[in-house]
Amino acid sequence: MEIIEVDAYYLPPDLRTQVKAFRTEAYQDGDMTIHLKIPQISRSFVETLTDHLKKNRETYLASLPIGKIIDVLDEASRRWLERDYPLRQLVLKTIPAITHFSREVVEASIDVEMESSLKEDIWRALCSEIKNPLYLDDFQYSPELAGYSRAFGPKLILSIFSENIPSLPHLLFMRAILLKAACLGKVASGEPTFAPLYLKTIEAIDPEMAKSMAVLYWRGGEEEIEEAAFHQADAVIMFGGVEACDSIRNKVPRGVKLLLHSHKLGFGIIGRKRLCHQGLEELAASIAYDCSMFDQQACLAPHIYYLEAGGEVSPKEFCRPLAEAMERLNRKMPRGRISPDEASAIHQLRAKYEFRELNDEGVLLFASPHGTDWTIVYEKDPGTFSPSPLNRFIRIYGVEDISQILPSLKSIAPYLQNAAVAIGDERETELIRRLGELGLARITSPGKMPVPSMMWHHDGVSPLSSLLCWCDVEKKDWTVGTKK
Amino acid sequence: MIKELPKEVLDLDEKILSYIRRGTDHQDSEGFNRLALRVFELQVKYIPIYRRYCEKRGITPEKISSWDQIPALPTDAFKVMELAMLPSSAVRTFMTSGTTKPEERGKVHYDEGGLRLMDATIYQAASSFLFPDKVKTTILVIAPSPEIVPTMVMAYGMNRLMEYFGSPQSRFLIGKEGFEMRVLVDELRRSEAEGFPITICGGSFGFVNVFDYCREKGSRFRLLPGSRTLDAGGFKGRSREVKREEFVSDCEDFLGVAKTHCVNLLGMTEISSQFYDNTLRNAFMGTNLPRGKINPPWTRTLVVNPDTLEPLPPGQTGLLRHFDLANRGHLLAIQSDDLGRITPEGFEIEGRTREGEARGCSLTIDEMTQIRKV
Repeated sequence: MEIIEVDAYYLPPDLRTQVKAFRTEAYQDGDMTIHLKIPQISRSFVETLTDHLKKNRETYLASLPIGKIIDVLDEASRRWLERDYPLRQLVLKTIPAITHFSREVVEASIDVEMESSLKEDIWRALCSEIKNPLYLDDFQYSPELAGYSRAFGPKLILSIFSENIPSLPHLLFMRAILLKAACLGKVASGEPTFAPLYLKTIEAIDPEMAKSMAVLYWRGGEEEIEEAAFHQADAVIMFGGVEACDSIRNKVPRGVKLLLHSHKLGFGIIGRKRLCHQGLEELAASIAYDCSMFDQQACLAPHIYYLEAGGEVSPKEFCRPLAEAMERLNRKMPRGRISPDEASAIHQLRAKYEFRELNDEGVLLFASPHGTDWTIVYEKDPGTFSPSPLNRFIRIYGVEDISQILPSLKSIAPYLQNAAVAIGDERETELIRRLGELGLARITSPGKMPVPSMMWHHDGVSPLSSLLCWCDVEKKDWTVGTKK
Repeated sequence: MIKELPKEVLDLDEKILSYIRRGTDHQDSEGFNRLALRVFELQVKYIPIYRRYCEKRGITPEKISSWDQIPALPTDAFKVMELAMLPSSAVRTFMTSGTTKPEERGKVHYDEGGLRLMDATIYQAASSFLFPDKVKTTILVIAPSPEIVPTMVMAYGMNRLMEYFGSPQSRFLIGKEGFEMRVLVDELRRSEAEGFPITICGGSFGFVNVFDYCREKGSRFRLLPGSRTLDAGGFKGRSREVKREEFVSDCEDFLGVAKTHCVNLLGMTEISSQFYDNTLRNAFMGTNLPRGKINPPWTRTLVVNPDTLEPLPPGQTGLLRHFDLANRGHLLAIQSDDLGRITPEGFEIEGRTREGEARGCSLTIDEMTQIRKV
């Protein structure tokens, strides 16, 4: 029997002795027990900690050249991409035990997250948002302004993580560090182990930088602690449910920047030209990947794939190769364990479709040979958008023409986020334009839904530049060292 | 024009009726098995879509010899399909609650024979588990009458209880204007003054609202010994959630009803029979068994793995699957989404899956429902 002890927190070294009391939560996974160490914290500790982070930021991170910062982040991503990196090996044990994601899903998740967090992508993300990343270091000459500009990040960002995508917290730390902001992360009780370990990686590469970062664990709604954290931060970024995001809106003081990423809906649209025999298996594999990655729990995940009739392969016919692809992928990257509630919801929904199929209502049901691993249901687009019970349950809606889809999307437009689009003819441009007008934040190709680039305007917002404060110097006779 | 029932169905109904009328104290497993297989045979014969459902699973009446092999139907199937054995003989339709959208409510049709079977189960089960002492009480029901909600199976059942076991003063307390709390209070005061026992029946959440009222007003009742309560259903957001221990101690504190006389019942629109707690019966028989839901002899309950739907050994928690001979008119085997486990006494409910929290940052069905309401 193996016992693994792991921290649900990360503190700068000089503060570690200040926490005296801990409690432990145990998670059992087969022969293995995870002991999660959780510090008992108070309001005053949070205040001490945030002060400390801000001071450490001032003495080091605030004046660290952006190039150096990117090197550290790049190095961290590279370490996590190494198969035998000990911390990677560790989370491959802790995350499956705590979240019930399969080890294969966690592994794939680390790979996609870290591969999109390497030097080149980080530079590109910065350039795309703020043109010249050196604005973060010092005043730079701006030809448009005919003067000098500099961008200042927040002093302290509070980041509230969700548990649905293993290894995602690193993105919020990266964004904070790039803005030269100290960062306090609050881990989700559903997956508190990755974030502290990521900061250990940063500590190993640049111990001074790690001193302006911390991770704590408290239950959402622990008001005293939350209030202290909200009042210390200049910006709050939160991933969470619709209700949790709503409730935080009133708690964060005015003047504190707030970025909320609440639950969203994704979908895909395939045009008739793309439903042809050539490349069918690849298309099926791509869609299966979109529906299976993160067990469909990411806001990026599709709930429905709309397929247009009139191609070489009908939407109905496409379901069989898709079912084969879902099964193949499930063998390679098994779905995680799910709760009785989730399993029951899938069985009940399957039954509804199965009876409609038996009743010859033009409905098809394809289900995994065992348990609830994956499900595909086909029906003609009923004109309403029905969310999936998740965990690899995808609806295929057949449509006569892709233009018919828009009205049902319109009614839920504020909740739409991602779409995979492959039309294969000139109508694609117009469709994408319409989807953009509806408020979608990302349109990509089938098979790419779970892997947005670092450049993505997350939920339609510039995640870096929207947190910056600019200072412009409109003085013709003023010079700084960097002027060429 | 309602079609008459075929002879083979009437014959089977007679056999089931006499089995039910033998009461709850026998254990004729062989008889149950024989009747269950016969019900299955006729359901497969008369309900083509159920036949196809079973054939898809490789199951036909010839192939099985035991009731637990009968394919169970997930309750949500009633939301998309008319699953009656003899739809043209239907005289009554009950609908499931839980959603405001009528097209998403499950519909269960009853023919004349099916209603007779349900009536017999109501009489026999209540005789054993609610009124083993044969005391006639005034039954006050915190629910609307069947005239107001003809599709609500609980209203139908409570009405039968009144007819079989209630005094003439028995009545429903939810009218067109809502819950008549004042009437309940007056009736309870009158029973205290005049000295007659009361049975209060209704949704569990309705009781919680009564307790909250008593707490707020500082009211307390001391009902006559022999008074009892029967509550059914969960709270489903219609009152605060209350643990069973708190519920029965509130019953004792506010109503003066002995804890043993607070009986919980599992009833489902899709199941004709009812599953009572054994507490009152235990007190009456002077036994000291732990609390549990009892399967009357004409029913069985299995617990299955939520993912694979394979049966689980006793004691393990999973989804409850019920088998009910009185379901002759629709389907005998029903897969519920209640979580529970088998106990030495019977079974125990551990929660309703629909009340659980879903994971994932992807928007969930519940949240969508919220959004659509807005």
